[in-house]
Amino acid sequence: MIAPSRGAGGNDPSRAAGGDKGDGSGLRWWAAFSSSPTLRLVVRRILVAIPVMVGVTFLTAVLLNLLPGDAASALLGADATPQEVHQLYLKLHLNEPFFVRYWQWIVGVFHGHLGASLQNGQPVAQIIGQRLPITFELIVFASIVMLLISIPLAMLCARRPGGVVDRITMVLSMGFLSVPQFVLGLIFVLVFAVIFRVFPALGYTPITQSVGENLRDFTLPAFSIALPLAGFYVRLLRADLIEQMESQDYVVTARAKGFGSWYILTRHAFRNSLIGFVTIFGLNVATLFAYTVIVEEIFGLPGLGYALINGVGDRDAPLVQGIVLVLAGIVVIVNLLTDLTYGVIDPRVRYGRSAV
Amino acid sequence: MAALLSETETQILPEAVLEEIPVRRGRGWVRSLDIYIPGVFLLALLFVCFIWPYLYTIPPPVGGSILDAGLPVGSPGHIFGTTAVGNDVMSRLIYGGRTSFEIVFAVQGLGLAVGGLIGVMAAMMRGVAETVAMRLLDVIIAFPAFVLVVVIVLGLGASEINLIWALAVISVPTFARVARAGAVTVRERTYVVAAELSGSKRWQIALRHVVPNIITSLLTFAVLGAGVVVILEATVSYFGYGIPPPGPSWGNMIATGQTTMSARPSLLLIPCITLLITVIALNTLSEGMRRRWGAVR
Amino acid sequence: MFIGAGMASLVVAMVLMLIGTGSMASAARSHDLANVAAAHTTSSAHTTSSAPPCPYCGGVTPKEGGSMTVLEWTGYEGSWPGLDPETDTDGGADISYLDAIFGELFELGPTGANVDDLATGYKFTNGTKTIDVFIRKGVKFSDGESFTPTAVAADWKADLTTSCSCKPTFDQKTTPVIKVIPGGVSITLQYVDASFISAMQGSIFNWIVAPGALAKEGAAKYAITPVGAGPFEVVSDTPSSVLVLKKNPHYWQTGLPYLNNLTFKSVANTEAAYEAMLAGAGQAYEDISSPSLAKSFGSHFTLTSEPSTSPYDIQVNTSIKPFTNITARKAIYYATTAKLLDTKLFGGKTPVGESFEAPAGKFYEQKVPGYIGYTLSKAKAIVKKLGGLSFTLFTIENVQAQEMDEALQTMYEDAGMHVTLKEYTLTALVAEFETGKWQIALQTAGAYTPATGVGVAFRFTSHSPFSGVHSTQLDTLLEEAAGTTDTSVRQKYYDDAAALIAKEAWGPFLFPINGYDTVIHNAGGPGLSTPLAAVDVVPAILWEYAYNNNS
Repeated sequence: MIAPSRGAGGNDPSRAAGGDKGDGSGLRWWAAFSSSPTLRLVVRRILVAIPVMVGVTFLTAVLLNLLPGDAASALLGADATPQEVHQLYLKLHLNEPFFVRYWQWIVGVFHGHLGASLQNGQPVAQIIGQRLPITFELIVFASIVMLLISIPLAMLCARRPGGVVDRITMVLSMGFLSVPQFVLGLIFVLVFAVIFRVFPALGYTPITQSVGENLRDFTLPAFSIALPLAGFYVRLLRADLIEQMESQDYVVTARAKGFGSWYILTRHAFRNSLIGFVTIFGLNVATLFAYTVIVEEIFGLPGLGYALINGVGDRDAPLVQGIVLVLAGIVVIVNLLTDLTYGVIDPRVRYGRSAV
Repeated sequence: MAALLSETETQILPEAVLEEIPVRRGRGWVRSLDIYIPGVFLLALLFVCFIWPYLYTIPPPVGGSILDAGLPVGSPGHIFGTTAVGNDVMSRLIYGGRTSFEIVFAVQGLGLAVGGLIGVMAAMMRGVAETVAMRLLDVIIAFPAFVLVVVIVLGLGASEINLIWALAVISVPTFARVARAGAVTVRERTYVVAAELSGSKRWQIALRHVVPNIITSLLTFAVLGAGVVVILEATVSYFGYGIPPPGPSWGNMIATGQTTMSARPSLLLIPCITLLITVIALNTLSEGMRRRWGAVR
Repeated sequence: MFIGAGMASLVVAMVLMLIGTGSMASAARSHDLANVAAAHTTSSAHTTSSAPPCPYCGGVTPKEGGSMTVLEWTGYEGSWPGLDPETDTDGGADISYLDAIFGELFELGPTGANVDDLATGYKFTNGTKTIDVFIRKGVKFSDGESFTPTAVAADWKADLTTSCSCKPTFDQKTTPVIKVIPGGVSITLQYVDASFISAMQGSIFNWIVAPGALAKEGAAKYAITPVGAGPFEVVSDTPSSVLVLKKNPHYWQTGLPYLNNLTFKSVANTEAAYEAMLAGAGQAYEDISSPSLAKSFGSHFTLTSEPSTSPYDIQVNTSIKPFTNITARKAIYYATTAKLLDTKLFGGKTPVGESFEAPAGKFYEQKVPGYIGYTLSKAKAIVKKLGGLSFTLFTIENVQAQEMDEALQTMYEDAGMHVTLKEYTLTALVAEFETGKWQIALQTAGAYTPATGVGVAFRFTSHSPFSGVHSTQLDTLLEEAAGTTDTSVRQKYYDDAAALIAKEAWGPFLFPINGYDTVIHNAGGPGLSTPLAAVDVVPAILWEYAYNNNS
């Protein structure tokens, strides 16, 4: 799914920035063609992404095909007769061999058609077009909330490890990590929608209709995702900051120069910790998507995650493959952006000859 | 779904997340309290779940009498009340804990054994084999984990053993990454390089030097991920793909309790709080273990 | 550290949860007051209303205008694929949307009788083999196209080839002949079908597609934005999530529908629906089956128990051991105490019955001569004599059915039987029936009229794949019943059929399915605030009469 993924060592900037050395030799000519290393990185990534994305959709198709039951019987339900099921089976072309169906689909994709949903004949591209913005907004909103919570809190904790702020934060973060998301979502609804009536319990207003209403609708879902995430990231960042402050030479140097702890923490240590932070964040975009499945269901948001789970239940292969393809594309793009961010965060990392 | 993410994420940077409080300067037994307290608590919990029912008669977790349906908390003979069909909640908690612990042990055990093996082998083989193995694992890790679990359970049918296979598909690659990360640091150490130069076979080096060095960090990691597995199981149950009722598990108790939360809050709160305490104990234990035995640096 | 962290997290979590569950009641109460207050102010503001009176709204005078959001459970009604009746494979569950958009030829009214809607009556001719259905004149589809007999005939012809399980269950071996006649449409069947008109309830024949719009939009687009002649027209549709409807300006009844806007939203489960309604995110919820949650709804909203037409039944497979033996089947009767199940699981709201209909069904009889009641000692004696009785009891994967299965298991084990439980999803359930190897199942059997839908024929005739009984005697009785238009004669046949089932011990009946609909105070309509008979499992709410006096 994730094409040119970064290595395991998130703390290892050389790996994080370089990676994948050697397997791009077939594209050397491109280096001569383009003098911009950044552009070269972008193009190489996109070319590598194509076979990976095809592979991921193929894997999805194989898995779906292995499942018992087919779209015809899934769609018709319990009171259908075998004849009715057979009729629909033929109508949906499910009698054609699996490879033929996949081949037709993937050829269509290269011609710009994602096919039509087996459930209602709606074009998959249209379904994704309607639902992607919702999932996208949810993920972006949740990520922003998460960053706004976890970064300042982690700094406050790292400033005085074992202090009051630190202890409370650590306890809360563990609490949020220990409650299943679907319980957390319902509790939020109870507290903020039923009792205080500050946010709606269900539904969504398109951003084109009213920005304010839209943000209000997304607040509870976004926090349901962001708080457990923040619980995780605040621990991550805090631990890394403390390690930087305790063991790094540059901290000692800075202290010797007479800079205060807070200054060193925000200017130096934070900047260094950020690379690991960004790497993991980028790697986990695919997993972040799993969060949205539950939240979309609880808050009645017509997003992609819910369509995907429903599609699997209905054995709706074109829909599921289409969504997986789009997700794979997003993961590739986010990883690329992550790599490009390294250069901004850490001036030592620039995409010169050796780095790509 | 905190679970899904942290299961994957913690594997990527386990060291950093494990570290809660920097090494304190306590001494002796005081320093070890953070191992003993959660350790004793968890052992007691395991005792109650696995041995207690043999020593002392408790009501069965399923097949309760319909006459006892829907009793509130504190009813005589049913301290935590009964479910809508008359099953004793306390008993379901105990037997459900058994199911949940079985799943945790199996999933983390498979992860530790199979994933650990893959990770160490990848690190020792180096070169193309290592790259290929790790990239394949990357694909699985980056695939939306929840979708993968649902597809596997749908394919194999909902049961405890199939749920274990499905969850192991996530735990194996993540353990493999942790194992490889640890093995890579060990293999660069001077004495390992020396052993290699002096002609020791790779598998000998792996057994003598690498495995003993990374085993504690893998164990610590397994303990940390245990709570995550229970939450994951609950989430899968919420979508109807978990342990099929009436057989209890903490996960499906939370999932079914949630559906009547406003009418019978105790059916949700009891398993939720039990899970919460257990997860906290597991986290504290894994931190304690890490602090005590350290990790590969 | 551990103790500190543990206790503190625990306290935080508990406080959060307790705030949630504990103070919900008081918050909701104040909400109700707000509703009442809102109702007062609006009623004084709009004194002039030209809305026609509602015949089925329990004496309430609905006001014109306003809007309503109806919540639907995602596991059944709340996941609709597309809303073109020809391609909607899920039509039986989508009654609400299809009725609102397409209207109906005949509605099932509160008195349990067919009420003319887009049709104006029917007539049996040709020795009752031909049915002439007359179509209302001057009706227009919501896009302005005329609603003609030609459109109805074209729709019916297309219906015969569709793959929805909601097409009418004709027991015919040849394709019916459909013709346009002056002022209506005629359909000629091979055999007489006395319940043809009743069978149209909840079936695809009742929803007429606008031919012009279908041709213009194409099938795929039409499935998302269908055009019909019902009280509402589609504004937007996100399948299985949100369906937004607005008043159809061309609707044939002047002054109706009362509502300007009607929105359907899918919700995760009944608990989520309850919270959403408390928070004001929805005004109504359909099909509550959990009695404990129904009670919660009832304390804040108008709760209506819908007259049921289907009872739960225990189906046995008479071709597979051990139930080839009538003594074993009798043991099941002796060991089943429907009364206790009803009281403990459902609060004993509905009367325990002995036949395949429920009180709102057309041919309901509570008592059946020769029906074997609960006698545990006799069940025990039989099991002992048979040297034990083991079997697998299966049902569909939903909370209510599973709970009942668990309770049945306990009952049967009390009688010394050994019971294994199995739950299947819809798809797997169908597959299980098709194997023919199943032993015993908890199901529902019944419909507004027994010949239709998931009725007695569906569960008990030789040729149904979902039946465990193969008796020509029973088949004949049910065929005769379906072929007779005289109600009292039909009643006789059905009574005989029920008696035969009891005599042969082909499976005990339990009690009617309990379904509740709920709506906020000062809002409602037939099926929401006043009871309406269920078609199969849920009633077809008459949306043109739905109102919300709060807005």
